[in-house]
Amino acid sequence: MLRSTGGVKAHQRARKTNSWVSLRITIQYLTLVLITIAIVNVRNPNRLSNLVNLPVHLDPLLTLTNLLATRTIITGAILAIITAIATVLFGRAWCGWVCPLGTTLDIFAAKPPLPKNEGDRSLPEKLRSTKYLLLAGILLAALFGNLSLLIFDPLTIYYRSITTSLLPALDWVFTAAEKSLFQFPFLVSSINSLESWLRPELFPYNPLYYRQSIAVFLFLGGIIALNLIAPRFWCRYICPLGALLGLISKVAIFQRQVGQECKGCSLCEMACPTGTIDPTRNYASDPAECTMCLECMPACPRNSVSFPARLPDFSWREYDPKRREFLASVGITAIALALIKSQAAIPSDEAHVIFPPGSQKDGLLTKCLRCSECIRTCPTGGLQPAFLDSGIDGLWTPQLVPRIGYCDYSCNQCGQICPVQAIPLLTLEKKQNTIIGKAYIDQNRCIAWADHKDCIVCEEMCPLPEKAVYLEKAHISGINQNDIEIQLPLVNRDLCIGCGICEFKCPVTAEAAIRVYSPDSNNSQF
Amino acid sequence: MKSMNRREFLKTLGLSISALALNQTLSGCTDRTSPINQQLPTIEPARQPTSSTTQQMGPANSTNPSAPVQVPSGSPDLVVARNGEPEEMVRRAISALGGMQRFVSQGSKVIIKPNICVAYHTYEYAATTNPWVVGALVKLCLEVGANQVQVLDFPFGGTIDEAYSKSGIAEQVKLAGGEMVGMPRFKFVRTEIPLGKDLREADIFDDVLKADVLIDVPIAKHHSLAQLTMGMKNLLGVILDRAAIHRNMGQRLADLTSRIKPNLTVVDAVRILVDNGPTGGNLADVKKLDTIIASPDIVAADSYGTTLFGMRPDDLSYIKAAAAMGLGNSDLKAIRIEEINVGA
Repeated sequence: MLRSTGGVKAHQRARKTNSWVSLRITIQYLTLVLITIAIVNVRNPNRLSNLVNLPVHLDPLLTLTNLLATRTIITGAILAIITAIATVLFGRAWCGWVCPLGTTLDIFAAKPPLPKNEGDRSLPEKLRSTKYLLLAGILLAALFGNLSLLIFDPLTIYYRSITTSLLPALDWVFTAAEKSLFQFPFLVSSINSLESWLRPELFPYNPLYYRQSIAVFLFLGGIIALNLIAPRFWCRYICPLGALLGLISKVAIFQRQVGQECKGCSLCEMACPTGTIDPTRNYASDPAECTMCLECMPACPRNSVSFPARLPDFSWREYDPKRREFLASVGITAIALALIKSQAAIPSDEAHVIFPPGSQKDGLLTKCLRCSECIRTCPTGGLQPAFLDSGIDGLWTPQLVPRIGYCDYSCNQCGQICPVQAIPLLTLEKKQNTIIGKAYIDQNRCIAWADHKDCIVCEEMCPLPEKAVYLEKAHISGINQNDIEIQLPLVNRDLCIGCGICEFKCPVTAEAAIRVYSPDSNNSQF
Repeated sequence: MKSMNRREFLKTLGLSISALALNQTLSGCTDRTSPINQQLPTIEPARQPTSSTTQQMGPANSTNPSAPVQVPSGSPDLVVARNGEPEEMVRRAISALGGMQRFVSQGSKVIIKPNICVAYHTYEYAATTNPWVVGALVKLCLEVGANQVQVLDFPFGGTIDEAYSKSGIAEQVKLAGGEMVGMPRFKFVRTEIPLGKDLREADIFDDVLKADVLIDVPIAKHHSLAQLTMGMKNLLGVILDRAAIHRNMGQRLADLTSRIKPNLTVVDAVRILVDNGPTGGNLADVKKLDTIIASPDIVAADSYGTTLFGMRPDDLSYIKAAAAMGLGNSDLKAIRIEEINVGA
């Protein structure tokens, strides 16, 4: 079937598959679809289960770092042992069979990989050590309670991108299409049924807006772009979860073996998406790099590739990190941590940072996996990925931005969904009494106070049984010395829980005339 | 020059569209308040109020031009039913007005607008309309052959789905055979208000504009600016920019009513909220009155509603403005009122 001449082109036409490869591809797509549905479903308060947390708990990098940072074992984390055992048996099968980011990268590597002498030969093998150095940095930082680098975990990348970039963009496209098609009367009824079928589940009635959506998208886009340099560039060189699983895989039971029949035709090398098949080692591969995708099996014309069980032989390759490099990584991380800790935080900046109900800055940043599930579940879109608001180490952790969305009085979903209880699990009643901020009226901007006109929206919106915003009737002499009676809003800070609906609904444009500040931003004893 | 092949073209197109979509997503952060339908052409109103609805005054006003059945002579302008189960009170009140067939003809499309303003509490807290009152109206409409009965509101606190189910209204509407519908933003269309004195246009929900019959089912509640929220204030739920109504509220509510005047208003006073409205949450603020007010005249219904709170129609700016515009009768002495004691 394969012509002896014709090089890569002929090889592309002859790309072979076998039932194992088909099974792998089926599982990959199935997992990708299921995980995506689970992320979408997070917003549904009547969801059957927190299925979306299963992959998170199976991810040993997330569970290990969380364990190091918090010194507590969270429910579900035990599942990561399953992944570890599977890796001891089958190597980096997670990467090749399960990981949604890996599957995405496979989709975007539409063309079969190029052989080394035409494609990624120029990439030094040494680059493969990068992922181990990143892993070392992540683990050390976690030991000191910093999980900022979990933005590099492939699961969180996938979850975050779907939540804050792809779904909002899709929402906009969908709504724009509906809006323009709605003008054609004969389409109205079909749009109505499409709408009632898709809207509540997929998109909220108020459009999804996220700060950082472009940054989050570029992060994913960059990883996909790297695929142009080499297939699964991310998995080979950068992925810290791949590094962790790779380390375990070095002692994997089932490893790739090349038989005596091999005549060195290089076809397996061309088929390998991670480029780990090394002609200089008799076409053997590094178990720490192999994702068990099995593409090399059908590629071999002599059926000399097999994956038998055998006693593992641990080997440290020349491109794996040396002690010196490892120490450098640890040192850089330590310096970075110290710098972050010593960075001055301007109190006036932090006054505006409102954390999800029941969480405080230190606890949140020490536990949060940056997975964005809470952001997805927040019905008002008020929970937003932070930029540098609570420090550089708070990047993409959740914070409430009341001007974008308020904390819904009838909702406690963020604590329900959080896989690591970085946002505590609160009953609705408890959440309704949890203070996340305090509202202050800016009398210089307020319609009633500054312009002497009726408004009262903040009072109307206040959800508390005994309203924290109250009105005081006042007689004011207006511009023409006419006596005007007006209702002036005031905040009873003993009652206010800082849900922010007043700030959200304040009809003053741009900056609201009533704003929620961090609850301890005004704790003076006077 | 290298020509672009189809695949490349599609790639470029896809990338451009995604970039545009992302850009819009982000720019929305700073432009939250821009109405989504600003560029949409106004859709021709289906239920344009004619001069006959707006000019008539006094008892004759109860003749509704869109009503399919001639009003039985001697039927009251307004019915108050008391001391019964919600459904029974609604049935007796509507029947005293001449039956639902007076308002709903065979095959017509009905929209019922209860007050489902927040997703916070169950109906006992009197922040949302009594579910059995809404359910009874759905049944009545279907019994006289309505083709479609849709129930809708756009809550300001919490999500639409949460609010629909928490209020108990979704359940009763479903049991009655009606349909709860969502209110996506693109279906609010910029609409002129020809009779408006201050509010000249608003983004109004398209289904409401197109419905054959609109039934307004408010719950009578305290509200700091309007003082009381009843039928006219409840119409706020079908427009997009509610903040705008908070300025010069009395006139603007009357203006809005002139454009989407309901065919029937049923004020739910099974329970009323006397303080901390419109959101409620404290049972101490709730008073159980077991009363239903029904009238084809929204102004009359609201006017009678004030008496439940010990107030007079003239105390409310929107009733005064609406009466001045001729939208209905606020003179309780001139309105023919039938009182029914269901419990007796």
